[in-house]
Amino acid sequence: MKKHWLIGGLAGALTLSGLAFVRAQDAQVAANADDPQAYPSGQPIAFPHNQHAGSEPGQNNMDCMFCHFSAERSVDAGIPSVSLCAGCHQVIPGRNNPEEVQKVMQYWNDREPIPWVRIYKISDHAHFPHMRHIAAGFECQECHGEVQTVEVINQRDPVWGGDNMGWCVDCHRREEASTDCSVCHY
Amino acid sequence: MTDGIKRRDFLKVVGAGSAGATLTGCSTEQVERLIPYVVPPEDITPGVATWYTTVCDGCSAQCGMWVRTREGRVVKLEGNPEHPVSGGALCSRGHASLQHLYNPDRYTGPMIREDGELRPATWEEAEDLLAQEIQSAGGNVLFIGGHMGPSMNRLVSDFLGAVGGNRVQYEAISDAPLRAAAQMAFGHDVLPRYDIEHAGFLMSFGDDFIESGASPVAYQRQYARMASADDHGAKGKFVFVGPRLSLTGQNADEWIPIRPGGEAALALGMANVIAAGGGNAGPYASVLAAYDVGTAAQMSGVSESTIRDLADRFVSEGPGLALGPGVGGHHRNATGAHLAALILNAVAGSVGRTVHLEGGPRSASAPYADMEAAIGAMADEQVGVVMVHGTNPAYSLPTVSGFNDAFTSVGFKVSFSSAPDETSAMADLILPDRHFLESWGDSMPMDGVMALRQPVMQAVPYFDSKQAGDVLLSVAARNGANLGAATFYDFLRAQHQASHEPAMGDFESAWRRTLKTGVAMHAGAMETGAAAALRPLDSAITFDAPSFDGDGDFVLLVHPSPRFGAGELSNSPWMLELPDPVSKITWHSWLEMHPHAAEARGIREGDIVTVASDQGSVDVPVWLYPGIREDAVALAMGGGHTDFGRWATGNGVNAMDLLPAVTEQPSGAMVTVATTVTVSPTGERRRLATPEGSDDQHDRPIAPAVALADLGHEDESHEEGGHGELQELQGGGGFLPVPAEGGAPEAFPLEGARYGEYATAHEGPRWAMAIDLDKCTGCSACVTACQAENNVPWVGEEQVLMGREMHWMRIERYYEHVDATEASHLDVRFLPMLCQHCGNAPCEPVCPVFATYHTPEGVNAQVYNRCVGTRYCANNCPYKVRVFNWYRYTDENVPEPMNWQWNPDVTVRTNGVMEKCSFCMQRIREAENQAALEEGRPVRDGEIVPACEQSCPAEAIVFGNVRDPESRVSQVVANERTYRVLDELINTQPAVNYLKKVTFHEVQSGGHE
Repeated sequence: MKKHWLIGGLAGALTLSGLAFVRAQDAQVAANADDPQAYPSGQPIAFPHNQHAGSEPGQNNMDCMFCHFSAERSVDAGIPSVSLCAGCHQVIPGRNNPEEVQKVMQYWNDREPIPWVRIYKISDHAHFPHMRHIAAGFECQECHGEVQTVEVINQRDPVWGGDNMGWCVDCHRREEASTDCSVCHY
Repeated sequence: MTDGIKRRDFLKVVGAGSAGATLTGCSTEQVERLIPYVVPPEDITPGVATWYTTVCDGCSAQCGMWVRTREGRVVKLEGNPEHPVSGGALCSRGHASLQHLYNPDRYTGPMIREDGELRPATWEEAEDLLAQEIQSAGGNVLFIGGHMGPSMNRLVSDFLGAVGGNRVQYEAISDAPLRAAAQMAFGHDVLPRYDIEHAGFLMSFGDDFIESGASPVAYQRQYARMASADDHGAKGKFVFVGPRLSLTGQNADEWIPIRPGGEAALALGMANVIAAGGGNAGPYASVLAAYDVGTAAQMSGVSESTIRDLADRFVSEGPGLALGPGVGGHHRNATGAHLAALILNAVAGSVGRTVHLEGGPRSASAPYADMEAAIGAMADEQVGVVMVHGTNPAYSLPTVSGFNDAFTSVGFKVSFSSAPDETSAMADLILPDRHFLESWGDSMPMDGVMALRQPVMQAVPYFDSKQAGDVLLSVAARNGANLGAATFYDFLRAQHQASHEPAMGDFESAWRRTLKTGVAMHAGAMETGAAAALRPLDSAITFDAPSFDGDGDFVLLVHPSPRFGAGELSNSPWMLELPDPVSKITWHSWLEMHPHAAEARGIREGDIVTVASDQGSVDVPVWLYPGIREDAVALAMGGGHTDFGRWATGNGVNAMDLLPAVTEQPSGAMVTVATTVTVSPTGERRRLATPEGSDDQHDRPIAPAVALADLGHEDESHEEGGHGELQELQGGGGFLPVPAEGGAPEAFPLEGARYGEYATAHEGPRWAMAIDLDKCTGCSACVTACQAENNVPWVGEEQVLMGREMHWMRIERYYEHVDATEASHLDVRFLPMLCQHCGNAPCEPVCPVFATYHTPEGVNAQVYNRCVGTRYCANNCPYKVRVFNWYRYTDENVPEPMNWQWNPDVTVRTNGVMEKCSFCMQRIREAENQAALEEGRPVRDGEIVPACEQSCPAEAIVFGNVRDPESRVSQVVANERTYRVLDELINTQPAVNYLKKVTFHEVQSGGHE
């Protein structure tokens, strides 16, 4: 989504087209982008990642890829379908927060998708193939933080470097992966 | 990239981009939603393309296709390599049919005309109305249909059988004269199958088989194989006979610029010579006797010596193959000309060798004569309900045919058109059909080959469409007729189940197999039968030169457009902006005129002239073309739509305004070369919207050639090939010579190069391309394929006039020898020009922000998010392959849902950004990703196929790793014909290697005449 304004904004700011309005907006956005914590919350369902993926007693220790099913075979990690949620929750009413589980079942019964708020995103002009990173042996946590310990993700984990190329490149350098621009930008 | 995002939402996101930019600055504070599937479709993995097979319905050739979908949307069409027609390739028009799926002007649902205005209706209401009208018409139903698959054909017949009525098949482009000639000559009502690939001496008497014949992709592939020099230095010869060089003509080695209608005499004169030399004329001996060389020369205007020479070579350099006139050559005696060509083939012994009566294309050859009868019936008020499906006669018939008046006089008119056209504009009821990519169907492109069409995506939700077959079944049921199926899908399956051969296994698995592979071949499909013998002539036929109406100075040649066909694809911005392969003009219409003829009348290029026949007149700018006779002018079909959507309507002129409504006898085909015209200047001028710089190489060997006789004698004939001292571009744009060993392309980048990270540059692959100019036909399929794959926008006519076109590829066309006055050799060169990915790229050091740089794999990359739009790189590029987005071409020009076509694997660039060919980097990455998932194996040669290579019907383009000596590209580049454009002048060290065109005539040392 940001593809258009990012490219346009950069070009606009650096050529003399005088888009003061856009530039002011850019500055504000940039401030936010630099702060890994700053991101809106307000998920439609208080989905507890720790209850599902955590390994503490009473937690379910599920593999990330049980729900984010395509991370090891696609550029996209995948968001679980409502049917996948409902598949378990038809028989698991939810010990801790049954009212949240009922919301899930409500979506399922209405055959409506759950409008999750997106937390992690990089610009559309950068391509991040999830499967290559999984195949190289990386854990999800290395970018997304210890998701399995967090109850409700309503902000990015501090480990996430944001939509910030330096963070990607640091890791690519450390791991001796290619830092050629066209690996991600095309 | 977007995680698990639903198609709908992906589009919302992409579509909202521009609005966000203007209204809010699109801050990241804006909450973005991830919309999951409720129930995930089984065949979709987010982020991974899903491929389906189907059949192209762009023309009657019916190429098998592979369709690439992402998250349920079609994003790209490709040829199905297993299909015998497409062989893996696809033409420009095939690609552009995708834009008609997403055509924003499609009808949003059924429409009923009330008080002169169309109003939206429900399907229920619309079908009820049709059922009722059919009932009250009491069997007076007329169904006018275009080409359709066997099952739909059957359904229409069943439907009309049940409700009562007649049908007419009408297509603007039809091979009726060839079919009629085959019937006369051999007693078979078929289109012959030409084996162009195995011909040694090919003569086309006006058949434009590369761009508009019965099977353009298949014939083009065969032609390229036949006409390109093989490893042994053998090369088939192609002679084009006709008053105008079409794209097919431009590919010829020799051009006989015959006067319109002189083909039959030339063919018979040649047959006479061959018969005298021992050929068997069979029952035509007496016919040939009347065409001795002298008579033939007089009638055709071709000299006696040329006729004798052609006849000799037709046999000695054979097997010969003569093709009769194509649609662009249908004059009043077109059947006679076809018959003459078939006689020539028969006398020379080519029937059974290069001409076969089995396995030919089953393309439609609907005679216009039937349509004339239908027009009469409508005008006489014998028709109660007329239904039009898959054809647009109100546009593609001559204006004077009377169709419009007759059609209007019918009480109830129904159109199945999915988008507005000139015929549906007059209809009382519109039942928008599905696009073929949303439909079920079948096709039988040739004997023994059956392919299924399947919906490759859900119907585009903006348009409430319904497949015409379903409508017919539903309407028949309303009137109490049971056609044996509730839906067209059931009908289709039942048809195939009924004809299923038990030898092919059980039906269900055969059906699934066919859907998966896209085609089912029946035993013996391509077998060659025994040579058929000529039958005696049993009906009157004339081989004389045809008459032309009027007493104008010029014969008007009306031909199908290589881009629009007969106008079906005129509302595709891709096709409008594709430079016409012959004239290189975009968007508007033009009149082709010989420079001498224009000069004699004081007409200059760009002058707007009035072209007038007895039927009407049009005002159109002149384009001067040395490839047309001085006594002829030419207009392409496809312009001048009056009601065909936002891009087509009002653009250009319709040649049908000038044509009389004449049928050819005895085939009944519409005559396209029928009248003379006068051409008079209006005093107005305009600039032609052409991206072409020059049609002359100006003594620079951009597209050099080598004579066939010089092949294999590299030392004598091969000029310096740019393999001298290598230099590296260093610092501030200056050349600092750096000695390098060998000088092979893989030497670059040199050790110690200052830019980029080249520590591993000598280990990995070095991507390179080879383009064989002896195969390239200039058809421009690659240009459209590239546009579809890489989200390349169109800019519009005004912007093209300012030189702002954005194609990443173009086909340069240079005349070396074109003589319209006498039979002589012809030399027109084509050169696909794309980013050359120079090892020594002049664009790289001038970029102040490193937005363009060299990758360690040898690709000249462009980083869009770095580009600040200085355009220095474009200024410094000697190949003019960098394009700049001056406006928001990708935002404002692209209405919903045409933006659904965008390839999500490629960044959509907007204004202020330079862009260019990336060697389809996304495809390189996709292949690498796949290889990495398969235990990190290396990428195999041939796995990375750029869109241009994938699409090329002539198989001219090869891509791969030039550092691997076993790779296909290395093998091709090793050819002695290899050169690199401008390399020896400016030492750019391109990664794109061209193989020189091979000519039969001598070329000068510079490689051109």
